[in-house]
Amino acid sequence: MSERSERTMATAALRAMARQELRDLWWGGRGLPLMLGYTVLLSVTSYLVAANKALNFLEQREAVSLTLQLAVAVAALLVLLAAADAISGERERGTLEPLLLTPAPRSALVAGKAIAAMSLWLVGYLLALPYVAYLARGTQVTTKALVSGAVVGLLVAGFLCGLGLTVSALARSNRIASATSLFVLLAAFVPTQLPSAAQHGTFGEALLRADPVTAGLHYLSELVVAGHGPTRDVDWLIGPLALAALTGLSAALVSTRLQLLSGARS
Amino acid sequence: MQPAISCHGLSKSYGARPAVLGLDLEVAAGSVVGFLGPNGAGKTTVIRLLTTILAPDAGTFAVAGVPGTDPAGIRRRVGVLPESAGYPPNQTGAEVLRLHARLFGQSRAQATRTARALLDQVGLGGRGGQLVGGYSRGMRQRLGIARALVNSPAVIFLDEPTLGLDPAGQRQVLALVSTLSREHGATVLLCTHLLTEVENACDRVVVLNRGRVVADGSVHEVAQTAAAPREGRVRVPPGHRDAAVHTFLTLHQVQSAAATEARDEVRFALREGVRPEDGAAAVLAALSAAGIPVLSFEVERARLADAFLAITAEAVPA
Repeated sequence: MSERSERTMATAALRAMARQELRDLWWGGRGLPLMLGYTVLLSVTSYLVAANKALNFLEQREAVSLTLQLAVAVAALLVLLAAADAISGERERGTLEPLLLTPAPRSALVAGKAIAAMSLWLVGYLLALPYVAYLARGTQVTTKALVSGAVVGLLVAGFLCGLGLTVSALARSNRIASATSLFVLLAAFVPTQLPSAAQHGTFGEALLRADPVTAGLHYLSELVVAGHGPTRDVDWLIGPLALAALTGLSAALVSTRLQLLSGARS
Repeated sequence: MQPAISCHGLSKSYGARPAVLGLDLEVAAGSVVGFLGPNGAGKTTVIRLLTTILAPDAGTFAVAGVPGTDPAGIRRRVGVLPESAGYPPNQTGAEVLRLHARLFGQSRAQATRTARALLDQVGLGGRGGQLVGGYSRGMRQRLGIARALVNSPAVIFLDEPTLGLDPAGQRQVLALVSTLSREHGATVLLCTHLLTEVENACDRVVVLNRGRVVADGSVHEVAQTAAAPREGRVRVPPGHRDAAVHTFLTLHQVQSAAATEARDEVRFALREGVRPEDGAAAVLAALSAAGIPVLSFEVERARLADAFLAITAEAVPA
């Protein structure tokens, strides 16, 4: 088979896989219930921060930042859960083997699943837009908040998607994949919750930057609350960018070696 | 003619446990081969090796003329019904087939046509729009067979294709297997525990035990060699029954003989090592010499089931 026809076939397989995965996720799958829960969470949070703002307990920009951070973090977390289930779930349900028996490149199959998982972030962020825009009205930070939220959200969601897919490709069951992914996420997050004194200095800041979620949300906070320009704290995005690239690469690598992992049966 | 499947020295272990040991196998194109063995014999592992789902530890193989070093090439030419295949409950039967056809490189329109034709072929024509979650086990099995055929494969691996099917469904699947081989020239490797399926549908039988081939040949050959029939019945006129028993007992080929409850029938057993055709000839000659008329004579037909049990019960050297 020529290189060109192989590439055409890979593209066709990716599109077919992504289309089916998107349909499975959003048409009768978990997508809509997850988004319903996410919207309820956003609604309650927005109401509370708006009420606090009215009582002068929370400055308006802080309210915007809080809602934006929540939207970015929760939508990205949903991506992690979907990605962790993407391959291990197929393996558990016995539907992976028929996929592996097709000549479609395994990386195309995984990429199709990644697109479906990332769609959760996209829809989640689109749903968050009116909330953030409403809370930010009259603050001059609306555009900045929405654009920076999209950039940070994309990086964090990309990192979590890569992490989830990598673990999912190596795990025998959905539970193992989800638990391991969440554990990795927590392992990066817990050190950032040390007493505030421990968060100062080079080591403390390194801990904050090492967790891509914390680093990304810190960047958003500096932009929206402190009013910094987009480039001033951009070094806080190095961690999320590097880790998104790293986990994306690892997902791509493990996808080419995708296996059934059911060796004991004959 | 190039064999449809050929493998030499194929081995696979799971940790310290060997699953397949130096398998040598050649399957002629267009044949239907029964692949038998007890649970744990290594049948599914062999299928997974030949369909490139697993990588062998040692050995070489080629399927449909494509060497094992080109896994995607092999997958393009084979169709597989895995034993433990799952089906996405939220997809319709037609969607499952369309997706697979697309993953085999078919255009959207072509995939839709393929799905429709295959659903008709396996008897699910009216159920293609129904969610797989609502399918019975038998319907899923048919869908799995249809899925194995989306690429018009040259070699088809069917792992327990009649599992969960009623007798009518089993017959339909076996008829489909025969059609695939006869009309489309496809080679079929049929892995099953139902030996009557093999007797009815297969040209050749390969029996695997503990990762090795322990019998290989036509259904008749395997049944004959491993479980040569040793029992027979003779019907004689009622007055000659005792004479017939006495005559049998004088023959060195006969181990035992006795009258049955029927007043004109004698049952006999041949000694071990005596070939059934030799034993039958000796018995008939003795009866003729003794002047005993023979009303009917029957030596039990060799059965694959007996052969299978005998072969797989034997210890295989490690």
